[in-house]
Amino acid sequence: MTNYLIRRFVLVFVMAFVVSLASFVMLYSAPGGPLEQLIAMQSTTRRPDPDEVERVMKRYDLDLNMLVRYLRWLTGHPRGPIVIGGQEFFSDLQVGCLKEGLARLVYPDGRVVEINCAKPVFLRDLADRPSSNGVIMLDFGRSQQLAREQPVIELFESRLGNTLLLMGISTFLAIALSIPIGIYSAVKQYSRFDYFFTTLTFFGSGMPTLFTGVMGILVFALLFQRLGLPYLPAGLVESNRDAVVPLLGTIKAGSFADRVWHLILPVAVLTFFNLAGWTRFIRSSMLEVLRQDYVRTARAKGVIERLVILKHALRNAMIPFVTLLAGVLPTLFGGAIITESVFNWAGIGRLFINALVASDYPVAIAYVLISTFLTLIGFIISDVLYTVVDPRIRLS
Amino acid sequence: MATTSVPLTKPTAPTLVRTRSESQWAIVLRRFRKHRMAMISLGVLLLIFLASLMAPILAPFPRDAVGLAPRFSPPLTVHNGQMHWLGTDHVGRDFFTRLLYAARITLSVSFFAATFATLIGMTLGALAGYFRGVVDSVVMRIVEFMASIPDFPILLIIAAILASRPESLPIPGFVLDAMGTLMLLSPVGNERAQVVVIIVVLTAFGWISAARLMRGMVLSVRERDFIEATRALGASNARIILRHVVPNAFPPLVVSYTLSLAGALTAETALSFLGIGITDPTPTWGNMLQFATNFMLVNPWVPLIPGLPVVLASLAFNFIGDGLRDALDPRLKM
Repeated sequence: MTNYLIRRFVLVFVMAFVVSLASFVMLYSAPGGPLEQLIAMQSTTRRPDPDEVERVMKRYDLDLNMLVRYLRWLTGHPRGPIVIGGQEFFSDLQVGCLKEGLARLVYPDGRVVEINCAKPVFLRDLADRPSSNGVIMLDFGRSQQLAREQPVIELFESRLGNTLLLMGISTFLAIALSIPIGIYSAVKQYSRFDYFFTTLTFFGSGMPTLFTGVMGILVFALLFQRLGLPYLPAGLVESNRDAVVPLLGTIKAGSFADRVWHLILPVAVLTFFNLAGWTRFIRSSMLEVLRQDYVRTARAKGVIERLVILKHALRNAMIPFVTLLAGVLPTLFGGAIITESVFNWAGIGRLFINALVASDYPVAIAYVLISTFLTLIGFIISDVLYTVVDPRIRLS
Repeated sequence: MATTSVPLTKPTAPTLVRTRSESQWAIVLRRFRKHRMAMISLGVLLLIFLASLMAPILAPFPRDAVGLAPRFSPPLTVHNGQMHWLGTDHVGRDFFTRLLYAARITLSVSFFAATFATLIGMTLGALAGYFRGVVDSVVMRIVEFMASIPDFPILLIIAAILASRPESLPIPGFVLDAMGTLMLLSPVGNERAQVVVIIVVLTAFGWISAARLMRGMVLSVRERDFIEATRALGASNARIILRHVVPNAFPPLVVSYTLSLAGALTAETALSFLGIGITDPTPTWGNMLQFATNFMLVNPWVPLIPGLPVVLASLAFNFIGDGLRDALDPRLKM
């Protein structure tokens, strides 16, 4: 068990490494980086100021070699020469080039490439420039567009809770509802209950969350309000001012009731989507299990029907469901992005979209890293859950 | 021990039973036609498809003409003696016209993305399952990796980077021309490149499930006796894969292809809804929905206009997939 978990953790770190490398490449190949912004900004007013360009290059490590830059982005090191016992080592190691040299190569196809370095950057020069703590210490740099110069992690800290709340409640509700509905549909196959939920789940899985969200706002927020019924808010995490709702009375802005009131619609939309697929899954896997010989044996030896279903059948039907839940975590983040956008929900998914639209790539990349990391942790948890559901599996 | 005598019935002469011989596809077609929702869906899709095909004929106005009538005129408004069937949008463009052109773009994008993704997935899955070894481990590592990270955010980032600067992807001119002609896009600006970029990105992230499915099918088919017999007869690997393995793995692939059409459609809609994929003025159902929701509080009918086609098309693909699943499954008696 311990052995397995260690191996699993190693795998997780390998995956995290690959994702971090991919993120880094995306971060620096994305258009509209700090230097381009500066040049675009200055070209409208005056010619680019070389000192200013150098300052920005130093500030964002744009003058360093790719490898050194990646290391500094990931770990915050190297921060200068390596000091062992008061002596500095490698201080003359060239790690980058601040200003291209004057030797120009003109290729036949017209490309001009400048080689040689006029102002090389050495390891000792890194000592007097500010460095981040590195992505592994959750320092994702600073926001470039959305909230200028604010540390990215602060943007996430204030919003992560909202997203986890939304995802957590809706996932819990979807599991809590889909299991009994799935069991009942399977046990009473082809009953009216079964037909109703089979149809409902089919529509649920076929309709994009985008549409159910918009329809939810149209009906429960706008239509209900116009009809004078107890309506739900059309978006946001909490109200800006007190709302008077028919039958429910006054809801104070920012109170607990207000937050619950705002949660209902987005949670319902996300739950509906997951519920649809999961109910179908449990129904079919229960139907499969109920046909097995050991279920017949249990019935034949006189076990009461309730126990047959809940103990003999359900535990076996749950095994594939746990696999499904593990694989569903990446999709949950995707679903949350859309739901948060539809409902103006101040979560990390919406932050991510805002960052993308504003070309604020440090924020966007941080989102990918954070959601990947949370997903990988989810995988380990589901592995452990496996052993609980299926005692035949010994993690080894 | 008592012997029980079973009265033997006198064997009667076998009567000749004439059975109508049906080809495999005739059976599938007959079973599919019994699936009422799938047939209705097929009709709905056909209607949308024909409408989008005849967009330039049916559309009463130019695609991007603004200020045709006061903004957010309700459906069936007559302005300057001309009928706006579905009203106008936030800059006074005709909704009906834009909906038709958007259908053409959205349907084409989903078709190409799903088709290329399925073809690539099929090829990689078949190679991985048939040859095993290095090909298999490489393909399967990629598949596992993509399945265990949140790929939608990464797709969004890449789409955002590429769509804002589509010229960074080298797309051959004839592809741009073909797509531009097909979707009636203007050659001015980067409209055509943006559409192609979205198809490429959706394809790059969409082949996973087809590859996994194909590999599984090939793994089970390749061990059967008839494959061994074919090999004993001297058939080449290519022939075995194309003539024997692929057709046997075909039924689930058809279903998965239909569902991936629905998936590509929703993904494209989500992308342009979030303001990342194909952007205004190129109309897609997704970016029309985005503008519609911005003005929803005052004009609650507006989101329904681009929203209903999205949900109808998505449900239709799902129902057809369901119908095909039932029709292609020989275990189900219908």
